[in-house]
Amino acid sequence: MGSEKKAIEVEGLVKRYKGAKGQAVDGISFDVRQGEFFAFLGPNGAGKTTTISILTTTLSKTSGQVRIAGFDVEKEARRVRERIGIIFQQPSLDPNLTAEENIRFHACLYGLCGYRPSFKLMPAAYRQKVMELAEVVGIQDALFRPIKKLSGGMQRKLEIVRSLIHTPELLFLDEPTQGLDAMSRRSLWEYIDETRRRYGTTVFLTTHYIDEAENVDRVCVVNKGKIAACCPPEEMKKAVGFDPTPKVCLPSLEDAYVAFLSRMNGGASA
Amino acid sequence: MRETVLRPKSSRLFRELNSVLTVMARDVTLLFKSPGSLIMSLAMPLVMMGMIGGNLMQNMASGLNFDFGGFMLVGMLVNMLFMMVSMNMTSLVDDHEIDFNQEMLVSPVSRYSLVIGKILGATVGAILSMAGTLLVGLFMGITLPIGKLLLFLLLSPLMCLAGGAVAMLLIGLIKSKRAANMAVTLITMPQMFLSGAIIPINHSSGLLMVLSRCMPMTYCLDLARAIVYAGSEEYESVVLFNPALNFAAIIALTTICLSLGTFFFARSEKSR
Repeated sequence: MGSEKKAIEVEGLVKRYKGAKGQAVDGISFDVRQGEFFAFLGPNGAGKTTTISILTTTLSKTSGQVRIAGFDVEKEARRVRERIGIIFQQPSLDPNLTAEENIRFHACLYGLCGYRPSFKLMPAAYRQKVMELAEVVGIQDALFRPIKKLSGGMQRKLEIVRSLIHTPELLFLDEPTQGLDAMSRRSLWEYIDETRRRYGTTVFLTTHYIDEAENVDRVCVVNKGKIAACCPPEEMKKAVGFDPTPKVCLPSLEDAYVAFLSRMNGGASA
Repeated sequence: MRETVLRPKSSRLFRELNSVLTVMARDVTLLFKSPGSLIMSLAMPLVMMGMIGGNLMQNMASGLNFDFGGFMLVGMLVNMLFMMVSMNMTSLVDDHEIDFNQEMLVSPVSRYSLVIGKILGATVGAILSMAGTLLVGLFMGITLPIGKLLLFLLLSPLMCLAGGAVAMLLIGLIKSKRAANMAVTLITMPQMFLSGAIIPINHSSGLLMVLSRCMPMTYCLDLARAIVYAGSEEYESVVLFNPALNFAAIIALTTICLSLGTFFFARSEKSR
């Protein structure tokens, strides 16, 4: 569980896209504590990616207050950007560069090392870090291949390496395991757990694989732009009538989540 | 787990300059990885200088009180820089289409560093085209004295920055490749004629004169011609303004275009 210091503070956040009739995010408020593992769940179109985009400074808000590590996302955007790492929902790699060139570009933009025109000329610490991370997600052999020749899963792994290279205080994961095989998913979560333990990294996760949120500190369910619930997973299970300490079979968070959303949406399937 | 932690350099200036270099280096890498772009950079001088310039020389040179070949070569060199920088700046739209702009915009560096890096990256291709133009000029028997050529080369990055800043005003707002290509035509064609790249504008008046005075390329061209024609009898017929005024106008207009272009670009990516 995280400390009492706030990593994310959101107050009355509203986002209305240009020309849209409704609000994609409708006055939501929540906090995430430093070091907390926080899941932001909801059905398609609920406002998860919109929220994560505002939190990561890539989208402007309509109204409300958002602070990341104590810094205002609009007035102090650069300070926010220094502290965060992101895996976007859509891949954001340059397909014409090699995997390593994509990582190098990121590392240099974050000021981790001066730009050099080849991997061999980069500082030893950079080369070591790249190889370490590549080993964790199993892409050592693909590092020097062009992105367009890598599978979707390999590209996702590369994005993970890229997002972690600057050891961010706060990691935003927008459906990070989409397209990954079971082994890669497991190794990714092991690595993220290790990163959290070692550096106290706060993790903000959106996912449609509800089992990935089973071990989070808190779950926030968003539905039609509003927060429907924000509590530890066990409380959510209780809220939908599951006994959190059953003697025979423990219900999964996914069961509780589906039941909860069905109830919210008048019995319709989530 | 082994542990290697990379920490950011503390100097803000280093980080900004490094990001300019990084963004530029990426575009240069992409240029050299793309044979099509390289061929295009070298084919443009054949079309612009060889065909358009050659035809103009054959049909317009008579009756002028200055050497049209030299006049046009300088015009084509500056025009080539502006045109190729504008064309290469459309890579911003490619970056938007593959979501790579997100990766750049989420980084903790100034948006100006990103845009200047893009312009400098585009400059490398433009300078290749400029070299091609010089080569075609050589085949046509039009040359520049080495000393003046070197001075011109020294100024060429500033001219590219001016051209890129103008291109940013439109391209920064555009999100589709098709529209970006049309925008490049919209930027480069009026510039070529209004600024006096291939035809003198000494007698322009009214709206056309006002438009020509608003374009950084007019002052870049005039400054380039002031360098090339310095000390010659033709100087008065060819050069419009004092070089100091040209320089000041380039700096002022480039700053305005760069500021507005960068603002529009960052805003259009963020405000949806």
